[in-house]
Amino acid sequence: MKRLCIALVLCLACGREQPTKSTVQSPAIPADDSPRDGGTLIRRLDADIITLNPVIISSRYDSYVANYLFTPMIHIDRNLRPMPGLAKSWDISDDGRLYRFNLNPKATFADGTPVRASDVLYTLRKIVDPATEAVQIVGSFELLDLTRTRVIDDHTIEIAFREPLATQLLRFNELWVVPEHIYSKGEFRNDFNARAVGSGAYKLVRREVGKEVVLERRSDYWGERPHIQTVVFKIINDHNTAWNALKRKEIDEALIASDTWFREHNDPVLARYIDFRRFYTLNYSYIAWNGRNPLLGDKRVRRALAMCIPTDAVINDLYHGTARAMSGQFTPDEWAYNPTVPVIRYDPEGAKAILTSLGWTDKDGDGVLEKGNRTFEFDLLALSGSATGKQLVQMVQAEMKKVGIKVDVVILDGATAIQRVLNGNYEAAYLGWDLDPDPDPFALFHSSQFPPHGQNFVYYASAEADRLIDAARRELDQSKRKDLYWKLHEVLSQDQPYTWVVQASAKWGINKRVRGVETSPGYGLFLWYPGELGWWLATAPQR
Amino acid sequence: MAAYFIRRFLYAIFTFFGITVATFVLIHSVPGDPVTFYIGRAGIASIPKGTVERIRREYHLDQPLPVQYLYWLRGAVTLDFGRSVIDRRPVTERILEKLPNTLQLNLIAFALAAVIGIPIGLWSATRSGRPIERASAVFFFLLYSLPSFWVALLLMEVFSVRLGILPLFGMSSDQYTDIGAAARFTDRLRHLVLPVLTLMYAQLAIFARFSKSALTEVIRQDFITTARAKGAGERAVMWHHALRNALIPLITLLGLTIPYLISGSVIVEQIFQWDGVGLLYYDAILARDYPTVMGLTVATALITLFASVLSDVLYVFADPRVRLGEAGT
Repeated sequence: MKRLCIALVLCLACGREQPTKSTVQSPAIPADDSPRDGGTLIRRLDADIITLNPVIISSRYDSYVANYLFTPMIHIDRNLRPMPGLAKSWDISDDGRLYRFNLNPKATFADGTPVRASDVLYTLRKIVDPATEAVQIVGSFELLDLTRTRVIDDHTIEIAFREPLATQLLRFNELWVVPEHIYSKGEFRNDFNARAVGSGAYKLVRREVGKEVVLERRSDYWGERPHIQTVVFKIINDHNTAWNALKRKEIDEALIASDTWFREHNDPVLARYIDFRRFYTLNYSYIAWNGRNPLLGDKRVRRALAMCIPTDAVINDLYHGTARAMSGQFTPDEWAYNPTVPVIRYDPEGAKAILTSLGWTDKDGDGVLEKGNRTFEFDLLALSGSATGKQLVQMVQAEMKKVGIKVDVVILDGATAIQRVLNGNYEAAYLGWDLDPDPDPFALFHSSQFPPHGQNFVYYASAEADRLIDAARRELDQSKRKDLYWKLHEVLSQDQPYTWVVQASAKWGINKRVRGVETSPGYGLFLWYPGELGWWLATAPQR
Repeated sequence: MAAYFIRRFLYAIFTFFGITVATFVLIHSVPGDPVTFYIGRAGIASIPKGTVERIRREYHLDQPLPVQYLYWLRGAVTLDFGRSVIDRRPVTERILEKLPNTLQLNLIAFALAAVIGIPIGLWSATRSGRPIERASAVFFFLLYSLPSFWVALLLMEVFSVRLGILPLFGMSSDQYTDIGAAARFTDRLRHLVLPVLTLMYAQLAIFARFSKSALTEVIRQDFITTARAKGAGERAVMWHHALRNALIPLITLLGLTIPYLISGSVIVEQIFQWDGVGLLYYDAILARDYPTVMGLTVATALITLFASVLSDVLYVFADPRVRLGEAGT
């Protein structure tokens, strides 16, 4: 599900990248490119995990750990396409409502018991049970029809849905099956936060709250065995501390904050043992315009406002060239992205001309446009905690002032901002989204998704967009779906319910002893297959 | 005297309730609630209505505020502060897990700052106005004004990254569980050095300057002149006559500083990955984790009250006028 992402905007502050980069291959480590088994990989977690229970997972860090302990029903590959996971094959009925999965008969849990279709059914039941509060995952199975879902035999299950949904198959990537014979004993919500029995390649050795999580490779793993013997997650909240730990070779990988990146990534000594990576993931930042606001409800006004965003200056001055402009809802790495839709050009004069033609002029000479007895003024809300976000809204404020628009910047903390936005109690807001691997933007722009029970908090209602979104959700033919999204990309760009600002790249540092590190366009380093499960270590840890 | 203590104690209880009510009202009047926290994490469209209502019911968010407070109070008297919104673990357990770490760090820093700072203050008082005392005053003001995150990063850069003689972060090494008690003790000490230094330097400056000014004030008084006139040695004048009278403001300072034992180390805990309550407090407030915020408030309030009762008791011993005054009423 799409997340209104406070963490993301913090990430954006840390900035993120472009595929062009050249690190010198390290002379310190011999060019040993054949995978080797064993060793201890030390990863960094920006925050302690909350739970090891894959059904109630609630943070990115929980997922990082769970991905070693559990094998999802289906994997997604480097290009975000489905591939076999716990299920070795599947059939989807012609009406798109029945999914028949054939589980890998060799699959076992860490306690040695086989993974059965009944465990899949048990996990699905837990996900949709309101008492579980599986808030992160339940949305992926909201159309699940439990009454018609049935176990065919030990390794076959037929899962039914009330309506066909083109995005449904990929959602099975979030289904991490738990063994019924263990998870049914005890209180599901509270008893499995610190222990885990999964069907993944690793098993839990220990979890020390506030310090670390230690995993070990299963000797009896049924799938393709990964190379690394032990994986340690060290909890380091502070980016500077993590950077120092990476420098001292105490950890093998860490996200690098923007300022650190710009200061250090050209250091030849560090480049000998740290691989600096930049890549784009599925996220962007945007300004949401409240469509119920009389001023901002007019799409011509929104276009004029979009023309006041100095995109090039944002990319070069705020992100030092490590972000890219957005033309609409879809990012260039997605198949739904329509490359013919242009990015709206920075053009304050053009913006002024549009506003003048709509009757907005500065009659009293105070530098602010008026129309009748109204002045052109609105609040722009931004989240505290993101230095880049604050700088950005200040740049926007200065640019709009030149055109005669008075912007009042309001900085709020995450929870307060979310409440204001979801209550429609805002005029404009600078926010960020983390996107799903499937591009369906139903929750954001369909007119049935207004708050309080939806996320279309810009109150965008367009018959054409609704039609395109609905059709694409039901369309199981990928090339037809693509055509629908290309059209939608164009419609959204014209209507500007959001003004898309930039997609910032992620910046990572990885010790060069870690080999086989690949990035997925869209998912980055982790959570696709093989992703981090394909890594190996070239030498023993250097201390 | 007994009446004095009883009155102080009743004040303390009254203050305690005042603090809990005020915090309760404050945290609930900040926009957003635990449900917004879930929404921020998962997106509202994905949360079934039933779940939202369940969460509201569980935390009594559907009740009027005074009723919510009574629910909370009912739990609090049995030390049950409910379950955290973030991970559903009992708040008491979460706090008790981390509180000793914070207390350890802060008590050591506090004790060192007092033990080093107060003698420095006395030394400066005897040299009040001389160039060396002026220079030390400037030095301590500078020390006090250094931002702690900067000092922390500097210490880390020098001692851990460059010299490599002290651990970078954490409370213990990887092999902590496999080593003997003596080795564990040394290991913990090594991990304590940088966080304690970071916490200590500002407190040290406060103690040094505060005790200096308290003592300088006393030295100007007539009875010191009398003591000198009757031929008492300088050492006896300082330690016997002056210091005792300078204790009152120092006790006040002590009472004001102790509450920081819980909340004063957020930044240091974050930078050095010290697993204390600082980070817990910060995260709880951002997530509107009411039960955890209230639990930590009670812990802080108790320590604050302990500090105020402690300083009241110490006043009695330091200043006979307090005793006599009470006896006279």
